[in-house]
Amino acid sequence: MKRNSIIVLALMVTAGCSSKSAVTPDTGTTSQAPSAPVPSSPTGYGFDQWQTGPLGDVFFEFDSSTLSADGQEQLKQNGIYLESNALKKAIVEGHCDERGTSEYNLALGDRRAVSAKEFLVRYGVSPSRLETVSFGEERPFALGHDEEAWAKNRRAHFVLK
Amino acid sequence: MVQLFNRVVPGIIVVLFCLVVFPLKLAAAENGEYIAIRKEGSGNIALVLDKLDANGKKESKFAQSLDTIMHDGLDFTKIFSLISPPLNVKDFTDKKNVVINFGALTSVGAEVYAGGTLTRKSGMINLDMKVYDASGSKLLLSKTYTGREEGLRSIGHAFCADLIELLTGKKSVFGSKIVFISNKTGFKEIYECDFDGYGVAQLTNLKSIAMNPALSPDGKHLAYIGFASGRPTLYIRNLVDGKIASVSKSGVSIDPGWRNNTEVAATLSPEGNQEIFLVNTDGSLSKRVTNNKSIDISPTFSPDGTKMAFVSSRNGLPQIFVQDMQSGLVKRLTFSGRYNTQPAWSPLGDKIAYTTWEKNGEINIFVVNADGSGLKQLTQNSRENKSPSFSPDGEMIVYTSNRQGREKVYVMSSKGGNERLLLQGDDVQTQPSWSLFR
Repeated sequence: MKRNSIIVLALMVTAGCSSKSAVTPDTGTTSQAPSAPVPSSPTGYGFDQWQTGPLGDVFFEFDSSTLSADGQEQLKQNGIYLESNALKKAIVEGHCDERGTSEYNLALGDRRAVSAKEFLVRYGVSPSRLETVSFGEERPFALGHDEEAWAKNRRAHFVLK
Repeated sequence: MVQLFNRVVPGIIVVLFCLVVFPLKLAAAENGEYIAIRKEGSGNIALVLDKLDANGKKESKFAQSLDTIMHDGLDFTKIFSLISPPLNVKDFTDKKNVVINFGALTSVGAEVYAGGTLTRKSGMINLDMKVYDASGSKLLLSKTYTGREEGLRSIGHAFCADLIELLTGKKSVFGSKIVFISNKTGFKEIYECDFDGYGVAQLTNLKSIAMNPALSPDGKHLAYIGFASGRPTLYIRNLVDGKIASVSKSGVSIDPGWRNNTEVAATLSPEGNQEIFLVNTDGSLSKRVTNNKSIDISPTFSPDGTKMAFVSSRNGLPQIFVQDMQSGLVKRLTFSGRYNTQPAWSPLGDKIAYTTWEKNGEINIFVVNADGSGLKQLTQNSRENKSPSFSPDGEMIVYTSNRQGREKVYVMSSKGGNERLLLQGDDVQTQPSWSLFR
């Protein structure tokens, strides 16, 4: 029975069917997977499927590059990491949701990245270790067209170099 | 009784190298009057474009192709009401002296008659065109167009351009190009096509993201934003020698707009703040134009280069402002709409088009006079309409719309109306920009 559902699942995956509802309810199958040690990735505000650490992302309100309290807390955590890993450099990517116009979003993404970088510089990180870039609305993380997806896409995304 | 028939006297035509002007002078003097009448009249010009006369099998085939090229070209401009030629429009009884039946033309409501003959000599096409005022039976234009057999489109369009300039006193769109972005290859690359969507060609192969292509007024340079280096960078490609210059400052580069043939303005953010700079065609910075803590983007210039419209978030959400390039004085242009971006200054100088992101989620194109008066909405109830850019004659606007699903390139009249899809295909097309040259 369970075996069958695994095969069905495997077939669906290989056939390119990634319907969420077909996968998630069958929680029983996941415990069947070989229990190799999974590297523990950080969880919480700045972490999700597109950011698994060690530096967490920060999220923004609509048309804003202002850091929220949660965002500032995440940046402090990132600052602590960068302090104790003094050789590491990072790229801060500014991203926007798909709404509005792309030229304005490219500017807004730049401001989000710069806003996150400036916080870290005030925190004590050398500006030479942080490079900013904007992708505007060009490289969305979540592909939906609703507030859930848009909220995921309004972010400053950290990439360790 | 009014003279019903008029003789078409075959003119002595001297074929020079490419195009030969015959008696334009005569026409110009008498047409001043005609143009004045047209400007006041609102309707389309009622035109009979007659089928070309041709002897011989090959000649007839070329004539048929040219008939279609000229008909479609004139129809594209939406300046004309094209009336089918009446059956008895020409009297061939005397083959050496074909006469036009102007009575038949006026009875079908024609104001202007255009007809001609196609001949062929050693691989070259000669198109001998004549244009008459149908009511006065006056010869307005007689001109021969010569070109290679493969160049039928340019031969036909050269006549279309002359006809429109003759009747409206203004240059037309014929010969102009549109550059735009398409994701056809899976990447965002720059493409170009003729004004009517014909002859799409890929211009870049960045295998990355390209944005906001803009041709210099003389067509010698192409400015665009490219992500090939990993960050949005302003590139200026010399289309004559193929050399590419770039701006090597840190930060972003956004949305270039040409001030003249040697200076392009674009947003750069070397100090983390988005300001508009003037950049030379070799990529060197000429001058900083804006100085404000907020976002300043999307420069577009009045035809004389003395004023710049741009987008700024200095009052909160983005609005359009106009800056005097000499004094630096800035005036807010748009007061209606909460999110106004993508300004485009008409080459005629009088109007600025832009887009408003409306509360209902639609994005619509508006035009406003350069002094802020005369606001007019051009699109509605058609989802998102973006990136307006005027044709070189100011008569049309190219833009994109996702009204039928994917975002595609459309054109419409700059007064609104005649909205139509320009380019077919399954790709997503964005950020079209019309050339100033033609």
